Amino acid sequence: MLKSLKIGMAAAAVGAVVTLGGIAPAQAADDVAMLSVLHGVPDLTVDVYVNDKLTLDDFKPGDLAGPLELAPGTYTVAITASDAADASKPAIGPVDLPLEAGKNYTAAAHLDEAGKPTATLFTNDISQLAAGEGRLTVRHVAAAPAVDVLADGAAAITNLVNPKESVLTLPAGTISAAVAATGTTDPVIGPADVNVAEGTNTLVYAWGSLADKNLALAVQTIGGLHSSPEGVPAGEAGLVATNQPSDSTGLFVGGAAVLMGLVAAAALGLRRLAGARR
Amino acid sequence: MRATASAIAAFAVALALFTGCAASPTGASVGKAPPTPSEIPAPLPTADVDVPRVSSALDLNQVPVPLTPERIRVVSLGIDMPIESVGLAPDGAMRLPANPAVAAWYRYGPSPTSPTGATVVAAHVDSLVYDLGPFARLAKAGAGTEIVVTTEDGLDRRYALESIQTVNKADVPWASIFDRSGPARLTLVTCGGEFDYDARRYLSNVIATARPIP
Repeated sequence: MLKSLKIGMAAAAVGAVVTLGGIAPAQAADDVAMLSVLHGVPDLTVDVYVNDKLTLDDFKPGDLAGPLELAPGTYTVAITASDAADASKPAIGPVDLPLEAGKNYTAAAHLDEAGKPTATLFTNDISQLAAGEGRLTVRHVAAAPAVDVLADGAAAITNLVNPKESVLTLPAGTISAAVAATGTTDPVIGPADVNVAEGTNTLVYAWGSLADKNLALAVQTIGGLHSSPEGVPAGEAGLVATNQPSDSTGLFVGGAAVLMGLVAAAALGLRRLAGARR
Repeated sequence: MRATASAIAAFAVALALFTGCAASPTGASVGKAPPTPSEIPAPLPTADVDVPRVSSALDLNQVPVPLTPERIRVVSLGIDMPIESVGLAPDGAMRLPANPAVAAWYRYGPSPTSPTGATVVAAHVDSLVYDLGPFARLAKAGAGTEIVVTTEDGLDRRYALESIQTVNKADVPWASIFDRSGPARLTLVTCGGEFDYDARRYLSNVIATARPIP
């Protein structure tokens, strides 16, 4: 049945999202494209051919492959049944994936809203994050109508449709995530704990089929997007200073630093005591 | 003669590395001219690659939450301090506890159980309220000084001091200090050097690097 399907790559154009920010992290190679492949078609073990070469043999539902480091260019991907001899009778594709240097992609084989196998090329946001922040990307690749994503019980993303995504920047930490039909709060997936790790793009995919009751979450992480703290201010009294105060009141000589520190400490201590008694 | 041969071999290996060529560093490659860049065939990126695969299941593929370091001891310096997990102050600097007798671990970076990168533990060197802190004694530590960090699982992680430097704050390479890649290591940070008596801040950071003791 699947072998008769021939699906164009219009979905890829729909699903492709322009990278936000545009600042690639320093450690990202600028002259190659990174490609991961997610298998989100339930109950179907496949082979993946890239440019007619078998690249992923017996690729199982729910598995994530990569990232592959590829020279920029257009790659033709065909997905066949796992017992196919070659790429001539694909179940999905062949589809052309245009990959640009310095970008990071995930190609997902998945079901469309109506339950037919298809493929979508997503561009992953690898722009640098501020220290303390994490990025959460949610992608709807399930045979299901529009959904809302609930974070800690409240709708964080609304009306997400297959095969779209939504990208949030959040304070790093673990959230309780659930997926519900849009406009509702009764979960069809989850709730489940998701670590929105600092300096990382955590990509969560809702995949499977609502009708077949096998909806699930898949997760992919892309790290190395962090920023460093801007300093470590770790002293305020000058007690170990290697210099003397340079202002010339003329009253302080050797040991002035210690004296000043102790005077200040005493003053502050008294103030604290007074505050505590109040 | 043997020395010459090995020198040539070393040179060939260096050339091979320099040109990015994967020539075998054995005697067989000695004397063979390394290919010029134009002779290197364009890589066939999809041919015969063993693509790593993982389950994308939520409970199998998330970023692991590292074990928290809770106590640091340097017996030879009389240092024994609890460690708080900290993030950032409003100004973007690492937020330290006011009390210099309490150390701080940068919780977004590596921990002693992380396979790579620097576990950063910092403490104030002094305070107008609390006086001198234990980290003031770090500056006296010699290479090899043993540092013990206890993680939340109760295990002691032992490190040997490798280097200690005083670096002008403007020149500290913070991305390297908070590095999440490279060998697993412990980096201790406090203040020192000259003091700005008007702004009440030190002009330098004292930075110690220690390596795990196997």
